[in-house]
Parts: sequence; C-alpha cells; structure tokens
Amino acid sequence: MIEINGAEGEGGGQVLRTACALSLITGEPFHITQIRGKRAKPGLLRQHLTAVEAARTIGAAQCEGLAMRSSELTFRPGPISAGDYHFSIGTAGSTGLVLQTVLMPLLLADGPSRLVLEGGTHNLSAPPFEFIDRCFLPIVNRMGPRVEARLVRHGFYPGGGGRIEVDITPAPLSPIDCLDRGVLTAVSGTALWTGLPPDVVEREILAAREVLGWPEEAFVERRLSDAEGPGTALLLEATFEQGREIVTGFGQIGVPAQLLAKTAAERMGRFLGSRAFAGPHLQDQLLLPFALAGGGSFTTVKPSQHTRTAAMIISLFTGRRWSFEQESNGATLARVH
Amino acid sequence: MKPLTVIGFLGSTLDASKYGPSRWSQWRPSVALAMHEDLRVDRFLLLHGEKHERLARFVAEDVTSVSPETRVERRHLNFENPWDFEEVYGKLLDFALSEPLDPEAEEYLIHITTGTHVAQICLFLLTEARYLPGKLLQTGPARRSVDGRAPGVWTSIDLDLSRYDSIATRFAATTSENTFFLKSGIETRNAAFNRMIDEIEHVASRSRAPILLMGPTGAGKSQLARRIHDLKRLKHQISGPFVEVNCATLKGDGAMSALFGHRKGAFTGAIADRAGLLLSAHGGMLFLDEIGELGADEQAMILRAIEEKTFTPVGMDSMVSSDFQLIAGTNRDLGEAVATGSFREDLYARLNLWTFSLPGLADRREDIEPNLDYELDRFAEREGERIAFNKEARDLYLCFATSPAARWSGNFRDLAASVTRMATLSPRGRIDRDCVTLEIGRLERLWSLGQPGLKDDGLSALLGAERLAEIDLFDRIQLAEVVRVCRESRSLSEAGRTLFAASKRRKTSTNDADRLRKYLARFELDWGGLNP
Repeated sequence: MIEINGAEGEGGGQVLRTACALSLITGEPFHITQIRGKRAKPGLLRQHLTAVEAARTIGAAQCEGLAMRSSELTFRPGPISAGDYHFSIGTAGSTGLVLQTVLMPLLLADGPSRLVLEGGTHNLSAPPFEFIDRCFLPIVNRMGPRVEARLVRHGFYPGGGGRIEVDITPAPLSPIDCLDRGVLTAVSGTALWTGLPPDVVEREILAAREVLGWPEEAFVERRLSDAEGPGTALLLEATFEQGREIVTGFGQIGVPAQLLAKTAAERMGRFLGSRAFAGPHLQDQLLLPFALAGGGSFTTVKPSQHTRTAAMIISLFTGRRWSFEQESNGATLARVH
Repeated sequence: MKPLTVIGFLGSTLDASKYGPSRWSQWRPSVALAMHEDLRVDRFLLLHGEKHERLARFVAEDVTSVSPETRVERRHLNFENPWDFEEVYGKLLDFALSEPLDPEAEEYLIHITTGTHVAQICLFLLTEARYLPGKLLQTGPARRSVDGRAPGVWTSIDLDLSRYDSIATRFAATTSENTFFLKSGIETRNAAFNRMIDEIEHVASRSRAPILLMGPTGAGKSQLARRIHDLKRLKHQISGPFVEVNCATLKGDGAMSALFGHRKGAFTGAIADRAGLLLSAHGGMLFLDEIGELGADEQAMILRAIEEKTFTPVGMDSMVSSDFQLIAGTNRDLGEAVATGSFREDLYARLNLWTFSLPGLADRREDIEPNLDYELDRFAEREGERIAFNKEARDLYLCFATSPAARWSGNFRDLAASVTRMATLSPRGRIDRDCVTLEIGRLERLWSLGQPGLKDDGLSALLGAERLAEIDLFDRIQLAEVVRVCRESRSLSEAGRTLFAASKRRKTSTNDADRLRKYLARFELDWGGLNP
C-alpha cells in the first residue's frame, strides 16, 4: 500500500489523478490523506470524484472514502478492461482531466477502447481540446500506440455541454528523445467565440498581434453556434519541424478581452524565445508516458511545481526517477532514469 | 456514496430567462444548483405545471448541459391556485406518496428556493414530517457578480435538529443555566427537588399565570420566588420589581391599605396617598407569602385583582389597574383551609394551577452538603472572611446533619443560622471538631424544644450529642427523669430510695443505691458526674 500525503508538493487534484492512473497500471493500491490539502476548498470535489470513479470503472477498483469533500481515500485497483466508456463531468471540471486519468491505463490495456467524454472542453482548469489533440497526442502516437481524438461540440464555462470522443489502440510505449524542436515553420491564432459581441474577438486579435507581431492573415475568427456558448478562447499555435505548442487565453467574466490575449501572447513569446521542446503544460503531461516507456528525455522550460509533484508520484509507484538539468542554452533537460 | 436526488419546483420567475447566451450571466436557481463543484446531483425531480412545459424543457436541457452527470426527470404538478395552502399541500403529499422514494438507496435534497411561499412552506412541512425523506436545500446567487452570479451558494439544512450540536447544546445549556439560576447556583442533588426546579423553569419561561409555592417555613419559598422574578427579568419577560409581603403581618385595618393603597384622608392617619403593594408590583411580580393568613376581604380583593387586573384603593371611588404576576406562598394546606371555610375556594382554584411543593431540608438530606458550602460562601460574602471546616469536623457535622437525629424543623433557616454560629465562633477561620460538637448540642436543644415530651432534658450537655444520638428515645425519656431526680437528691441513696420507692414498699429491692449506680454506669455516668 503506497501512502501519499495529498498536501505535499503541488497539493491539488493532479496528485490524485496521477496516482489513480499509476495504481491501475502497476496494480499497487494506495492510500492518500489530506487530499487537495493546499486548496481553499480541500477534499474531493465533484470533478475529482468523477475522475476517481472513471478510474474505478475501467480498472474494477475498490474505493474507500470516495465521497464529496472527503480528505482521505483508499484505492485498490483490479484488472484494466478495454471497452467503450462514457464519462460526464460538470462545468467546473474539464474532459481533459478525466482523459488524463484514464488514457495511460487504457493505452496499456489488452484491446482498443473508445471514450466519450462530456462536459467542459475549453475552460480555465485544464488545457483545451486542441492542446491535447495537436500537442500531446502526436507525441504519444510517436511512442507506439494510436490515439485519435475528435471534438464533437465545444463546452465553455459555465454553459458546458461539450463532447469529445477518443479512440485508443494500445501498443507498447517505446522510449523517445525530444530534444530539438527544429525550426519554426508556421504560426496561427484562432479566436473561438459565441454569444458575445463581435468586437470582443477583434480586440483579442489586435492585442495578440501587438505582442507577437504575427501577420493579420495568421489569425482566424471562428464563430461557434449559439448553443455552444457563450464563451471565447484565443488559441495561439506555433508549429516547429519536430513539435508544436499551443497557448490559450480563456474568456472570463470580468477580465477584458485584450488582457487575456496579451497574457497568452506574452507566454507564447517567452516560449518562442526559449530553446525548449515542451512548454509548461506539455512538460508535466509527458512525464507519465515517458516513465512508462522506461526511458527517454525532452528539453523543456523551467520545471513547474506540477511537474515536480508528478515526478514524485511517479517515483513512488514505478521507482523511476526524473532528473531536470539546466543546459547552457537556458533550457532544461528532463530525463527519466 | 449514495446517489443524490434533488426535488424542487421550477421557478417560473427565477428560472425564466431570455433564450440567448445572456442567460448564462443570470442566476437561475434550478440550473445553478447543478453547477456547484462541491455538489453533484445525479437525479433532479423537477416539479412544474403543464403551462410551464416550455420553460421546464429549456431549464432541463441547460441542467444537462452544465451537468452531464445529472438526469432530469420532470413531473407535472398543476395547481389551480399555487397560493392555496390546502391544494398545494394535498398535491405535494400525493406526489410524495406516489413517487418511489428510497432513502436507503438515495440521498434527497428538497430545494425550497423556488416555488411560491406556500409551496416552500409545504415542502418544509413534508420534509419535517419525513414524507420527503431528505434535507432542505437552500440556494442563492453569489454576492458579487463574478461568474455572472452563478452558481452562487448552497446550504443544506437537516431538520433533525438533534443533529445540530451547537443548537442542541445551546438549548440544553440555556435550560440548565436557568435551573442553576433558580437554585441560586447550588448544585442540588435531590432528584425530586431538581425535577421540580426543571418544571418551574419550564413554567416560568412560558406562563404568566399565578404560581403557588407550598412548603414549610424556611424551605426557601421566598428565595425561589425572587429567583423566578430575576430569571424572568433576565429573559426580558417582565421589567417591573419584585414586591414581597408576608400576609401574616397584614392583620387588621392596615392590611387593605398596605395591599391596595389608600387615598390621603381615607381614614384617620391616612395623611398622604399610599400606592399599596399591588400597584408597586405593576409590570413585575408580587410574592404573597403565607397567603393562607389573608383576611376574607383581602382575599376577595386579591382575586379580583388577579382576574381583572383592577382594584379599588381604600377611600377611592375609581379603579386602579396593575398588571403583575402573582406568586403565593403557604405552609398551610390551603385545601383544608377551603374545607374549613377560612380560605376562598375560588381564589384557591385560581392559585392552584401551578402548584409546587418545596420539600423541607430533612427530606433533602443529599442537598445539605451543597447548601453548607453555599452558606459558607454567603458568610464569606457578608463578613469578608472565608471560613472552612477541617476535614474531620466537616465529616462529623455532615454525619449528624444527614442523620435522622437532625430534624431541621426550621429548614434552611436552621442551616443558615447553624453555619453562621460555627463560622462566627470558629477559632482562626477553621471550624474544628469541638466547634461542631458544641453546635450539634445547640441544634439538638433547639429541636427538642419543639418536640412534645422532650423538652431540653440537659442530657446533651451531659453525654454529648454523639452519644445521645445513639440512645433510643424510649431510654432517653427514662434517663432524663433519672438524672433529674439524682440532681434533686442529696445522695445516691436518697435518689435510689425515691426512684425505687414502690419496690422498696414491696420489699423486693435490697440495694437501691447499687441498682441506680449500675443503671447510670450503662450510660457511663456516675454520681460525681451528675452532682459536681
């Protein structure tokens, strides 16, 4: 039984999601205390319940303490079953977080799986669908398995109502090295919007162009159907020979459009200025598949608290250790041992 | 974790919105309750009338959009008049009875934020009566307009109040504070007395009807009446003063005037207006102790004053009104007084609603110890000097005080006086064994005075209280007379001759003196000790 103090490190829901995934894969039960101990509203919230329940469903796990606001949970995994699954998550949560919990176990299952995930697809709490689809999954696919994701309907906060479908064909994960991202080949900006005045989107694009200096034709406005909104997200995408980064600014009530665009553009600017392969979000998502592959490395920006926490949980279950070394060009080399 | 089902009305006003995206910046209670990150609704029974079909469908769709985990089940509930209590309650009860609700398998929250006030009240009543086996759910918009006021806030209320520790504890604490207060802070142990105080607390908090306190002199009637007044005053139930009078002192002409007041010149000596006790007690409490001693005229006036809150002062034509709560005290059996015609039956009936019988101290022996400490505290407060018993002395005193030999005929008055004597006479603030032994003698003399055939026989001085307590009354009466005869005689022989005169005449006794000596020796007495 692996003991985890949920308040350590990043101290949020990621600890729980990573632990569930690893427990199913390794067959090791775990006991976590002080769940989300560092958050203002500690304990299991709705989206965490849903994530744990999803893990329980695919892995015939037994749970003690699985209740709203519970601060302690025991998780005993069973065998992982491939299959068709449908998971729903309320507006505050994101489909991406459920996917993060079940994807790796299903990748290592004995047959293909199909997931339907309902809920938020574009909200603050997680990287948006496009990031998963265009930045993260291509790397997973490069390691062996085949994962295809489709966005059926957008789901913004608070209306929700999004839907994504994911097809998973398992294969052993092979170690890869992602050290050099290569030359920048294309840039683009997509402003998704619905149910808002049109000038909001214009102001977003103007603000992003001002920071990044990208040409006008690099930007597209994509108006979604009224039923999918209201909401807006500005997706800034940079494509390199060997990789891709997507930075997103999400519309929030009370935050001016130009400000969210400016913040996103500045983050993209910093990434372009670095020599790293993986940005801050890709960084923590790559740890699990790389560790399960038993080796590999990638260059990245300064490791976040999220990343260091995920690395700690990974070493608890697998014994594999991540090292983060700063290189002379300012990038960090992350390597699993 | 049991699945959660919410039961609630569609809010025909609050849940209504424009059909466009602006609805997401509005707080719609039925939608918002599915948006909380710490509340997951698995099933939502949405109650609505057929005329709100369209709104209900729209709200249901939005609920499933924000909360794909939630299954919305709509139920038609048509009210002809949603403000008609009988109709709403009846139809909701029908719903509750027909809907298969299983609290073993599901948890229920009853949403009371939507619906007419009548519907909310009916939901409350049905939940309280457990027809709807759940907790109440209250929701509200966010205080600040961040996130478009939704999801806002939610609270669940469990009507099983016993679960609310803080409320239950406060309630119990208040009650026990009140009874503690009524007992003057004395931790009494007598179960019957404590039960009576609980009842008085109950009555005093809820009623303004007269209270009758029965009990022997010194049982604490007056003190209890004053505490009831103080408690009611603390709780803002009365604001006026506590006015107390012993009716035994109201004899003759002055009685009427003392109680009801008089006008200047009403009679000789009425040199100024006098308000009278009843008027002084206006807004407060009047304690009439020894009410059985009240004269017939006064009884009639008092009865009227209680019933109509008016009376006529001596020498006045007009009525005066005074609103007071009456507490009456008596050491007589008023029922007997009614039977013999000395007390008005109708007044007794008026007083006999809340009748409490205060036991004497002899019937509350387990309360003697806490009252002993209370009296020591009172002495310390009064005299500024704290007196304590040494352990041996305390045990000796309590042993006597709780024994059948201690009659406590004057009840708490005797105890108070006894403690005051010991405290005053104790050397250096310590009550020791000698001090207690002397006090026991004093108490015995005091009580023996009132006992028929057992006047102060002087035996306690001779034998000490402890030894005396071991002698049967049967023997004591004999011994007392023997000692008296001895003290009146010039010699042991003379006393023997007097005491055994009859036997002597029959020539059956040869040595009277020896017989007497042996008798005295049984009580460890000798001639020298009797006639020093």
